[in-house]
Amino acid sequence: MSNNEIQMRRLVIKSFHIEEVKYGEEFAIDNGSLTIVKDFLNDKMNKDLIESVKINIIKPYEHDMYVNSIMDVMPISTKVLGQLGEGITHTLTGVYVMLTGADVDGVQMAEFGSSEGILKEQMYFGRPGTPNVDDYIIHVDVTFTRGCMSSRKYPLEGHRVCDLFVQEIRNILKKLPGHKCTERHDFYDKIRPGKKRVAIVKQIAGQGVMYDNQLFSKEPSGFEGGRSIIDIGNVPIILTPNEYRDGALRSMV
Amino acid sequence: MGIGPSTKETSLHHFRDPLLAVATSDDDLDVVGVVLVGTPQDNDDKMFVGKRAAVWLEAMRVDGAILSCDGWGNSHVDFANTIKEIGSRNIPVVGVTFNGVQAQFVVTNKYMDTIVDINKSEEGIETEVVGENSADYIDAKKAVALLKLKMQRGV
Repeated sequence: MSNNEIQMRRLVIKSFHIEEVKYGEEFAIDNGSLTIVKDFLNDKMNKDLIESVKINIIKPYEHDMYVNSIMDVMPISTKVLGQLGEGITHTLTGVYVMLTGADVDGVQMAEFGSSEGILKEQMYFGRPGTPNVDDYIIHVDVTFTRGCMSSRKYPLEGHRVCDLFVQEIRNILKKLPGHKCTERHDFYDKIRPGKKRVAIVKQIAGQGVMYDNQLFSKEPSGFEGGRSIIDIGNVPIILTPNEYRDGALRSMV
Repeated sequence: MGIGPSTKETSLHHFRDPLLAVATSDDDLDVVGVVLVGTPQDNDDKMFVGKRAAVWLEAMRVDGAILSCDGWGNSHVDFANTIKEIGSRNIPVVGVTFNGVQAQFVVTNKYMDTIVDINKSEEGIETEVVGENSADYIDAKKAVALLKLKMQRGV
């Protein structure tokens, strides 16, 4: 009964483990070492909405530091072959991006309770949605201009510039030779005739500032090219398991 | 009324969602898809999108569904309505959300008899610690197990 599975499409996720993150003149990945450019975003933000952006490498276990409210934690993943939900995706492990934000007056970018404070007290490490204590964190801290909670434009711009930065890493990650990956996982969208048909329904935020979700961006867990659930009218959208697994949903809550 | 830091699902959470991982690795289940439904502000819109989600499930001829929600308060109005719309179509449904002590349901109905409470804080509150109360593998296993029982029993 279990042998008549019908496989429709395959998604291969190849992970590359990062042992060290450091600053440098240009973005690079070399033998488990990731180099990032600290001032890359300096001339790329909309100055009407963002005052400044700071990029900071947080080393494993060094979490005794102040952070503004945590807007998102995201993986660094990129499509290498095919579209979202099929083909090949490369992703980094051992390093994740954390986006934080507040405006020039210290008003936190948060809709319903905020998480600013000492990082080790404000982040529960090791959950599916958070880094492990021994992971590197690339901290993108955005200082918005006054009134950051007054319009969707502010968080959208914060996510946009953060994504510009991550894209520089993705562009290199795309070119890494697949056979040198640390781990490889094959996922199939499949039909299992005779088994109980089950759907997962996820109710996601769709009301406004810091209460938004972006779907089907160009890159996994990315921002560019995505469609906001608010603009879609919050109506139900169906994803294949592999589309969802391939980062079709960018959290903006 | 919204999504607090401790329950919110980050992009990383969606990328490695335990609910999808557990459900798709269960050999008894045929996971047909992931339905995303928004949480609009207006009450009529809440009822509208919840019903549309339930009609989708009916059209997909599913044997059961798991509805997860990472917010509470106002978000529980949408949650309760969508569960009712699914349940009233004789589709077994299990809910996954944050209750604890602080976030008891503002409205309920008879289909909300299998809810997995993702609270993990001792005080049962929104702790403002990112990730603390978000759904993990144990929550996902509970949800899948409850749904399997409910499907066996029939609603």
